[in-house]
Amino acid sequence: MKLPNKGIINGANRYKLLAVSIAVAALLALPFCIENDYIKHLLIMAGIGAILGMTFSLLYSVGLVTLGAAAFYAVGAYTSTLLVMNAGLSFWAALPLTIIISAILALGFGAVFVRNAGVAFVVITLIFAQVVVIAAGQADFLGGWGGIIGIPRPNPLGPAEFTSKRDFYYLILAFLLLVVVVYSALYSSRIGRAWRAIKLSPNLAGTLGINAYRYRLLAFTIGSTTAALAGCFYAHYFQNITPGAFSGWTSIYVQLYAVLGGLEFYILGPAIGAVIMTFVPEYLRVVREIEPIITGVLLLIIILFFPGGILGTIRKFPNLSLESLNARVKKIGATLTGRK
Amino acid sequence: MILLKIRNVTKIFGGLIALRDVSFDVHKSEILGLIGPNGAGKSTLFNVISGFHSPDKGKILFKDEEINGLRVDQIAGRGIGRIFQEPTLFMQETVFENVLSGFHRHYREPLWKAVINSPAAKREEAAKKEKAIEILEFLDLISASEEPAANLPHGHQRALAIAISLASEPELLLLDEPVTGMNPNETMSMIEKIKRIRETGITVLIVEHDMRAIMSLCDRIVVLNLGIKLVEGPPDIIKKDDRVIEAYLGKQAV
Repeated sequence: MKLPNKGIINGANRYKLLAVSIAVAALLALPFCIENDYIKHLLIMAGIGAILGMTFSLLYSVGLVTLGAAAFYAVGAYTSTLLVMNAGLSFWAALPLTIIISAILALGFGAVFVRNAGVAFVVITLIFAQVVVIAAGQADFLGGWGGIIGIPRPNPLGPAEFTSKRDFYYLILAFLLLVVVVYSALYSSRIGRAWRAIKLSPNLAGTLGINAYRYRLLAFTIGSTTAALAGCFYAHYFQNITPGAFSGWTSIYVQLYAVLGGLEFYILGPAIGAVIMTFVPEYLRVVREIEPIITGVLLLIIILFFPGGILGTIRKFPNLSLESLNARVKKIGATLTGRK
Repeated sequence: MILLKIRNVTKIFGGLIALRDVSFDVHKSEILGLIGPNGAGKSTLFNVISGFHSPDKGKILFKDEEINGLRVDQIAGRGIGRIFQEPTLFMQETVFENVLSGFHRHYREPLWKAVINSPAAKREEAAKKEKAIEILEFLDLISASEEPAANLPHGHQRALAIAISLASEPELLLLDEPVTGMNPNETMSMIEKIKRIRETGITVLIVEHDMRAIMSLCDRIVVLNLGIKLVEGPPDIIKKDDRVIEAYLGKQAV
């Protein structure tokens, strides 16, 4: 049978593959081009932010808006800290355990939370994140409001000693790439299709036999577990954690990464948003007192006038779209090789 | 063989009785029309059958199993498909993706294999895509397959809704006003398609205001008025029934 478009079946886009390869190579080479440790630190923070932003987008892809993205970020950070400091495990042993424990907790809480989609879910996640912060602040074994200090660095692994920013950069990059690969696979599988169906029309999805509850719970569990992974990294990178690091502000920033980059771009959107939101405020520090105001106004302008976010706005200009860039690259290629 | 049994179904909204003691059968492989003036309870009955409302009284049996009280997705899983009266599609997705969503309950490979895109999952996905193309060709939508559903004209959106439902391979298909808002040509071609859908063994229960379409399509017709079943029978009898004419046109007309 003749297929309407080969792209539908093959899916693979050579230019996309090329672009991804170049991006990964650039990210791998980046620490060698940067001397300044502080810039490396910012890149690491952007990496954490990108992962957290992607968990927000994952829930958004099934129609759930979370205001508690930092909740499981905290769960991961505290769980891993306790496993290393109290149970005496190494970072590498604590990491998979943290993932498993967080996944079980996410499944348990999610089973209750995702019963209510819509506004109820927004409010529940907001309160839950707040409860997690207060619980951490009140519990002595979690260090109270002062938090926990002296969390060990990850044990050396091969050439990585985790004494330099560069090693942490590669660790967070590895986590980020893992998340990107897994999430891309999810989005392009029938799971992603079911998620989008539930988001776009829960009624129609239902009449096709899609169990919205189960698919929302799956997204909640995967997203929360991913946030816990980021938390685990955070604790052993900063080597100290306080409840304040996981406050409502963190959840709001995470949401902003996704909104700023472009809500409809589940992977690239949060990544771009996190980089911008990490670097721009830093360079506005010269005007220290009013930096948050400038950042806030910039965000308001973007959200009010460019609701599609950065990527959504770019896509609106036909000259800047991926298709048109592809066409131009092809044209240049044809000219260079002398073919028509 | 009786596929669907509606037994003494009553549905009350606040003080309004939307359905009162409605009973009828849907036979396998027939096209059964459900007609009645506005407010007769047709859409309520569709919502009760497909699980959006649960009946206050009475039973609904599909293949002799009670389905009232089940969730929408469970009822769909038993083999009841439905299209909505208002355009209900995955608007931002392409036509092709819309149809693929319909196959959801027919995937057999486990989810994790779909995620890692194992060879078996790839084959399964390719098979679904082939089938989606067949369905799109059948409904004359193949040339629009890469368009977002929102960009389609009204008639094509109705056809796409049916395409999605066909992908879910229902045994019973509930069609809520499939030709309303279509021009005569589109209506003619849709009627032919519904007939062909029935020929593939799918039973059709249809609500429609276009009387010519209903009369030429249906094997039997059930008439509802003010939540009560007025009469049921073949189109020729229904056309001449005084109670039906009275319900539609008022007493003076008789």
